[in-house]
Amino acid sequence: MSARDNILARIRSQSGKAGLTTNADLEAVRAHISSRERGPVPTFAMHDPVQHFIEECARLSTTIVEVGDISAVPLEVARYIDRASLQQRCVGWEEFAALDWQGTGIQYDSRPATGDDLIGITGCFCAIGETGTLLLLGAPNTPKSTALLPETHICIVRKSRMVPTMEDAFQLMCDEIGEPPRATFFVSGPSRTADIEQTIVIGAHGPYRVHVILIS
Amino acid sequence: MQVQSMHFKQTASSKLNDAVLQTALKKSKGKFVDGRALGVAQIDNWEDIRTFAASMRDRVIDNLDAYLLEFERNAIRRGAEVHWAETAEEANSIVLGIAQRNGVKTITKSKSMVTEEIALNDALIGAGIRVMETDLGEYILQLAEEPPSHIVAPAVHKSKEQVAELFMKAHHKPRLTDIPAMTREAREQLRSHFLGADMGISGANFVIAETGTTLTVTNEGNADLVTTLPRIHCVVTGIEKVIPTLEDFATLIRLLPRSAIGQSIANYLTLTTGVKAHGESDGPEQMHIVLVDAGRTKLVGSDMKDMLRCIRCGACMNHCPVYQNIGGHAYGWVYPGPMGSVLTPTYVGIENAGDLPNAATFCGECQVVCPVKIPLPDLMRKWRERQFDMQLRPFSERAAIAMWGYFVKRPALYSFATRIAARVAALMGGREKLIHSLPGIDGWTQGRDMPAPEGKTFREMYAARLAAQKVKT
Amino acid sequence: MNVGLFVTCLVDLVRPNIGFAALKLLEDAGCTVIVPAAQTCCGQPGYNSGAREIAKTLARKVLAEFRHCDYVVAPSGSCSGQMKLHVVEDLFKDEPEEADFRALAAKWYELSDFLVSVLKLDKLGDKFDGSITYHDSCAGLRELGIKSQPRALLAYSGCALSEMQDAEKCCGFGGTFSIKLGEISTRMAENKCVNIGVTGASAVVGGDLGCLLNIEGRLRRNGDVTTKVFHYAEIAAGMAD
Repeated sequence: MSARDNILARIRSQSGKAGLTTNADLEAVRAHISSRERGPVPTFAMHDPVQHFIEECARLSTTIVEVGDISAVPLEVARYIDRASLQQRCVGWEEFAALDWQGTGIQYDSRPATGDDLIGITGCFCAIGETGTLLLLGAPNTPKSTALLPETHICIVRKSRMVPTMEDAFQLMCDEIGEPPRATFFVSGPSRTADIEQTIVIGAHGPYRVHVILIS
Repeated sequence: MQVQSMHFKQTASSKLNDAVLQTALKKSKGKFVDGRALGVAQIDNWEDIRTFAASMRDRVIDNLDAYLLEFERNAIRRGAEVHWAETAEEANSIVLGIAQRNGVKTITKSKSMVTEEIALNDALIGAGIRVMETDLGEYILQLAEEPPSHIVAPAVHKSKEQVAELFMKAHHKPRLTDIPAMTREAREQLRSHFLGADMGISGANFVIAETGTTLTVTNEGNADLVTTLPRIHCVVTGIEKVIPTLEDFATLIRLLPRSAIGQSIANYLTLTTGVKAHGESDGPEQMHIVLVDAGRTKLVGSDMKDMLRCIRCGACMNHCPVYQNIGGHAYGWVYPGPMGSVLTPTYVGIENAGDLPNAATFCGECQVVCPVKIPLPDLMRKWRERQFDMQLRPFSERAAIAMWGYFVKRPALYSFATRIAARVAALMGGREKLIHSLPGIDGWTQGRDMPAPEGKTFREMYAARLAAQKVKT
Repeated sequence: MNVGLFVTCLVDLVRPNIGFAALKLLEDAGCTVIVPAAQTCCGQPGYNSGAREIAKTLARKVLAEFRHCDYVVAPSGSCSGQMKLHVVEDLFKDEPEEADFRALAAKWYELSDFLVSVLKLDKLGDKFDGSITYHDSCAGLRELGIKSQPRALLAYSGCALSEMQDAEKCCGFGGTFSIKLGEISTRMAENKCVNIGVTGASAVVGGDLGCLLNIEGRLRRNGDVTTKVFHYAEIAAGMAD
């Protein structure tokens, strides 16, 4: 009898159930799972996700700016970098490589981030209004490391991809992709820790800064 | 982790007199308690969410075998290897085996309470493998060679001066004075380890049956670096962590960070399903999930099964007036506070942790704040019942209860005894009406006087009043 | 309407004045009060020490003594919580006697709750001259929702109430905890006394004698002989000193 057998057998006998897990047991579990039952959602989360998202960003220390069109992104990135006195070199996802970076003097490397890169530019699968959260799904051309390794993470969010709650984000993911990819990454603000004397310090192991560019 | 729970009373005593700890406890109490209150106030249907979450966890615990099998099926389908471990030794041997088979020299690790239970680090280090804790609190404790004192904020008992001292010695750099600088230095020190590690070990806040996903909830980003960068990812998790669906995670994540420290959400929620896909630059080549029993099955189907609902938020200990005064180390094992008082006897034996379920006034604060409505005082009382039935308490306690039980059931005898006691004690109290010491209740009189009884019992005075009224009429 | 008075073992032994204050409040409000002579204890000390059978025996004894009353009233949140909650939901759950205990629980009230919520008392004859602060005993508060009721009675008595920091925090009594883990218990009592001191109140008031003895014991050991300690019933009945 393997450890697996022993553990399952003990669970069964402790629960007062005879024998092994039956197909009926497994079918019942699958039936419940496919019902996709949602728990209660707080009232505030149901209204105006974009407005909520902006308010939550303030609470999380995520800076946020609205622009009209994707073509305005390189200019906003340049402005942000200048204001924060950062380097003009960025790595980023493939989908933004064709924007007019040269015009703003920014070097945009379309490749996954390494430990030496300081600014990472990503998009997101969707954003969640309730909590000011970005959902990034890892894939060959959308690596999570670009949002994680650099000190500064700039995320481009389209308003059309804003959903009210995490449940809605999962629904969208299931509708469009089916199953979660290997890396399903929810980001809410720059990294932080309060492990020393419960004093919050922004910038632990993940980025120090998260800047959202919201596209109408 | 080594069990020190049998020394609870002595350790608690020294903690009460530990000035650095007392300052730390006061600070953290304010942050955690006030923080949670503010966080909960944002939610208009908090009680409904708690009720739903409790029943969701119950559904899983009552069908744990089926949910684990469904999780395993989906995890394997997505490319993970699933291992089962009945004991701590088995779990350590599995993880060590994975490391050795793959020529692993360095491991980075994110915080996992179950790995503290099984003492995984010791097993790996003993075999010559380098293990770096990356959660800042756990990193500090690794340097200090101390166990965690809290499940969410493991180094809450340390002052910044103590941390500065540790960093100066370990990093060979000038002593720092400010907390942001210390955090930055830790980040810099750990960076190269993150990037160079062969294997990453994480726990799992939950695992999702629907998708075969394991997940971590962190603020620092260390769990992400631990689970994304190395070529092997090993998740070690208790079997009770399984939840049915992604939606259920969305419910629980409304409760967990708020209950822990009042955050509306934690910075990084990292759901990991399977191995690096074709063409992906990120991600491990091998994904191992170790499902650990180590005593959890004892609770399944038992009168303490509610404890398995626990989502490890730490709210119970944060609000416990006993914990607030003595800190986590006094409890002597991985889990402090009310949840520790229930789990520690379960996992290490009541004979090794006898004082823990008694270290409570049953004030009920823990039950009020538990996001999944675990009736913690009732569970601690059940441990007291077991101790009573097994005659584990000291003789003096058992004798006192027996004697009290004998008298209190017999009204006439009780009346007689209490009249004597009231008079004697009133005499002892003297003019001050205070008793300064009384054999048998040293625990009280060491720190307090005992206000003396009035001298007669209510029952006798009332009987006399009735008799006088009868005489009048 | 006859009201059975459950005096509580601590009041009986240590401070009958509280029992007589409860009696006076009930009689002044028009109740016919019965005090079953053989009552001793609700069983909670045994229950919380794990002695289930003793606790059940005592609960049965209380049932036998009080079942004929229209109401049962006790000047204690912890005894009332024992009889209303633990006896019904734990000790006799799914047993034949559960219905009887449920019926008893339905007519059992903590004193201030009975006076304010059932009798709808809206004034009191006696006035208390002095500033007070109030300690919310845990069982009354969290098991029975006793919070506003004692404060209402104290307001009717004309008390100037100054709320302390952490009024709802446990004072450290916890029954036998106060002896078994006396050092921790003393520290908790000390914390409570500090908070009382900050209010500058001349008296601390509460609804459970166990808490009051614990608090008073620490005050006096600290050398504080002036801060008075009262049960709200004593103040409301004009029997506070």
